[in-house]
Amino acid sequence: MALAPKDVLGRDNVVVELFGMARIASGKHSVELIVEAPVSVSGLANALVRECPELAGVAVREDGDGFLASYTLNINGSRFVSGEHLYLEHGDSVLLFSSQAGG
Amino acid sequence: MYGYHGKALIVDLTTRQTRWETLDRTVLQAFIGGTGLGAYLLYRHCPPGTPALSPENPLIFVASPLVGSRLTTSSKFAVVTKSPLTGFIGDSLSSSYLATELKKTGCDALVITGKSESLTLLSIEDGEVQYLNAADMAGLSTFETESHVKQRLGSRTRVACIGPAGERLVRFASISNDGGRQAARTGPGAVMGSKNLKAIAFRGTNTVPVHDPAALAEVGRDLAIRSLGPATEKYRTLGTMANVSVFNRLGTLPTRNFQQSTFEEAEAVSGEVFHEAHFTKNAHCANCTIGCEHVMTTTDKGPTATGRVEYESGFALGPLVGIKDANTVIRASTLCDELGMDTISAGATIAWAMECYEKGILTHADTGGIALEFGNDEAVIACLRLIGDREGLGDLLADGSRIAAHKVGQGSEAWAMHVKGLEMPGYEPRSLQTLALALAVSTRGACHNRASAYEADLSDRVDRLQASRERGKITAEGEDFSAVLDSLIWCKFLRKAFHDFYGESADIYEDLTGWSMSSEQLQQAGERINNMKKLFNVREGWTRADDTLPQRVLEEALPDGVAAGASISANDLDMMVSAYYEARGWTADGNIPDAKLAELGLDVLITHTASAEV
Repeated sequence: MALAPKDVLGRDNVVVELFGMARIASGKHSVELIVEAPVSVSGLANALVRECPELAGVAVREDGDGFLASYTLNINGSRFVSGEHLYLEHGDSVLLFSSQAGG
Repeated sequence: MYGYHGKALIVDLTTRQTRWETLDRTVLQAFIGGTGLGAYLLYRHCPPGTPALSPENPLIFVASPLVGSRLTTSSKFAVVTKSPLTGFIGDSLSSSYLATELKKTGCDALVITGKSESLTLLSIEDGEVQYLNAADMAGLSTFETESHVKQRLGSRTRVACIGPAGERLVRFASISNDGGRQAARTGPGAVMGSKNLKAIAFRGTNTVPVHDPAALAEVGRDLAIRSLGPATEKYRTLGTMANVSVFNRLGTLPTRNFQQSTFEEAEAVSGEVFHEAHFTKNAHCANCTIGCEHVMTTTDKGPTATGRVEYESGFALGPLVGIKDANTVIRASTLCDELGMDTISAGATIAWAMECYEKGILTHADTGGIALEFGNDEAVIACLRLIGDREGLGDLLADGSRIAAHKVGQGSEAWAMHVKGLEMPGYEPRSLQTLALALAVSTRGACHNRASAYEADLSDRVDRLQASRERGKITAEGEDFSAVLDSLIWCKFLRKAFHDFYGESADIYEDLTGWSMSSEQLQQAGERINNMKKLFNVREGWTRADDTLPQRVLEEALPDGVAAGASISANDLDMMVSAYYEARGWTADGNIPDAKLAELGLDVLITHTASAEV
């Protein structure tokens, strides 16, 4: 999908792509978010649950302050996230899917 | 003795003689159970150079110390034999009530050798063996066979059986139990069929005492709670089919015989769509709190099919053959279960044939009029039936992609996607390069489960698109972990629920058996088991040249998706294989030096006399 340009405050637009139960619970494949750089994992979780409250308790912690341990984050299909720092750039896609790898 | 019976039942179908063999503490602690004990018994009971489909090849069912403990996910058993696909060790796992009943017959392992003169039902009740005529079961599906045996011998009977594919020696035939669970990879069903053995009925009352029941009950409660936590969430909700959409996005979903790593129709066969449109219910194995099995039902106007669909079946009978209709995937997967054959090898061999058809190497005349194009739903179903019956094109495909490509030639070996003769699972090795190494060196061929090496690739631990030497150590450690998992036997889906896998498992082993086992000793048992498997393969003619990947993987870069351009050269693989041998303490040509055998006690164990006949 075409991503909106940075907003008037120069904040970044990123897309969170949803997989598994996160997709089913929200009814969405992806969510576009405006975030202020540098955004942290908990900051992203907060922004996501504001946009999709139904993800609380499904993929995002009930307090909105991070993701559930059963989920992992990947940037643009190439970089897996560990720790709190995301290092996102405008236009990045954050993939949110199960942390249980494989079958 | 606690936790074990301390003996194996040996059955010779040719002479109809049975005997018991002791399994003493030395052997049991060294190999634990499951695939480990099975590898040891295979080495002992399979004469060197035995053809896989000859009567001398033993078919071995192995329980484990955990079986009967009622710990969550503990009801599993291993089937070990020389594989008719690879000519090397073939070890498969299956689950549920049969594991418990096998152990209750009074043995830790059942070793079947020889061949019956006619189709036979082997009945084992508390160690008493009967050879019953099974002529009336010829040609029955696995489900029909199980039902037939239960009607004949009682509903409490647990049944391991083959379907038409096993009877016709399809080299990737499975052994089925408990309503469609399959020990399928490496083709043990063909070995069972070669022995004229249609089914085995297990009944027993011999429970094994536990050394410390109170401690075991406490840890059991804790594990059951953890099994319902975040470490198993995926398996409980969407199941392994959740992989489809994620793998597609990551460029690691093998499509159209590994010609692509993304499938433009992945959404239609994704776990999310299966869950919303086809999900019927969750199912559990015996003594399992997770309930990972997702039973799916077709929704179109065709004949209704209902069955479990896992990712490997979904990938092999979906994107790999270009199928975008979830109904066809369910129908094809269920048909494989009925016929009794491995869905991965079946799908991958059909995918090879489809590419031959695409390239004009197999013609309309060769296929018997089937338009064997990628994405042709009817063609997939028709091929599966032909394979199960070994009719027409099916007779060629029933031998697996390696033999089929050898027969057809014309360069088709280049896209026969197997390692050592075992077809590749649903993970693209060019975009998962730790897995690539693990597939190449695995003792049973292209197997994703004997190292779970994809875990490193799907994390920040490595760059999944670049080969590196560190993969050697990661793969060896993953193999040792998996060997312990598959020998105790825990379900793989519980693996992340442990805080300290080796430490907790060693404590549980002591609670069960009363035998002290440290975390380090358990880890070394994993190493010993992998060396035992390798030792068998070396004896059967393995060389370093066998530790390789399909030509396509080594010569073509990925054309599409987020991993476009990713490749592994022969030199890359060679570097990683060497690093793996170094991590294992093996020689440069991949053999096990005497010092390593001595370090692991294998020099003594393989000639161990305490396992003699009693």
